[in-house]
Amino acid sequence: MEWLRLILGSAFLLVGIVFFAIQLYGIFRLDYALNRMHAAAMGDTLGLAFSMLGLMIFSGLNFNTFKMIIVVVLLWNASPVSSHLLARLEVMTNSKLENHLKVYYKLKDLEDEPEQGSGDDSTTDQKGQTK
Amino acid sequence: MIAQPDLTLLETVYKNIYIGVLIILSIGLFLCLLRAVKGPRIVDRIVAVNMMGTMVIVMIAVLSLLLKEGYLIDICILYACVSFLAVVVITKVYIGVFRQNKEEGEDSDGVA
Repeated sequence: MEWLRLILGSAFLLVGIVFFAIQLYGIFRLDYALNRMHAAAMGDTLGLAFSMLGLMIFSGLNFNTFKMIIVVVLLWNASPVSSHLLARLEVMTNSKLENHLKVYYKLKDLEDEPEQGSGDDSTTDQKGQTK
Repeated sequence: MIAQPDLTLLETVYKNIYIGVLIILSIGLFLCLLRAVKGPRIVDRIVAVNMMGTMVIVMIAVLSLLLKEGYLIDICILYACVSFLAVVVITKVYIGVFRQNKEEGEDSDGVA
């Protein structure tokens, strides 16, 4: 029975660690701050929830489990609010926002887009912008 | 934990799992710090610091089970509150700075 709890808890903890790894990969893979926030919010919700679920199974049923549930509920409520505030800050302060919000009406326009360099928004070129 | 004859082996396995999770999370913490240093805009830095806060919460929870000190989970709750408060305050301050620069007619992209 104890070994079953060990295996179950470590499986949940491993899933949480994998979500943190995907979050880190997304942070370095995506190019722009609003795209990066999408990757970062996943680790805030699912990574923390699965890790805490694994730790709850390790801890057993006592008052510490209740406190871990409080942590998860608190962060699940706080993370969307802070993401909203950060997105509003980015939209307000970026004067070159339209470079990142291009809409492609045909898929061929996206495929004809020349490859852009790094994620630095000051080096984006205007050549591939088509309507 | 219920006392059993194989408790020593079980405790060794638990301790190794906790220490392995702590090592993996600290490597991730350094990568987050790299993103916070590299990030071209201010929002990248705040998002990276927010992610570091989440990882530190999991690390404190693992430490509380490793050291068998239950009150360390209270510090997790406090850390979540302080991390959220920091994001709100920094965002409000930067929006205020942006509006002040805009009223003075300076370059509006000076925030980043």
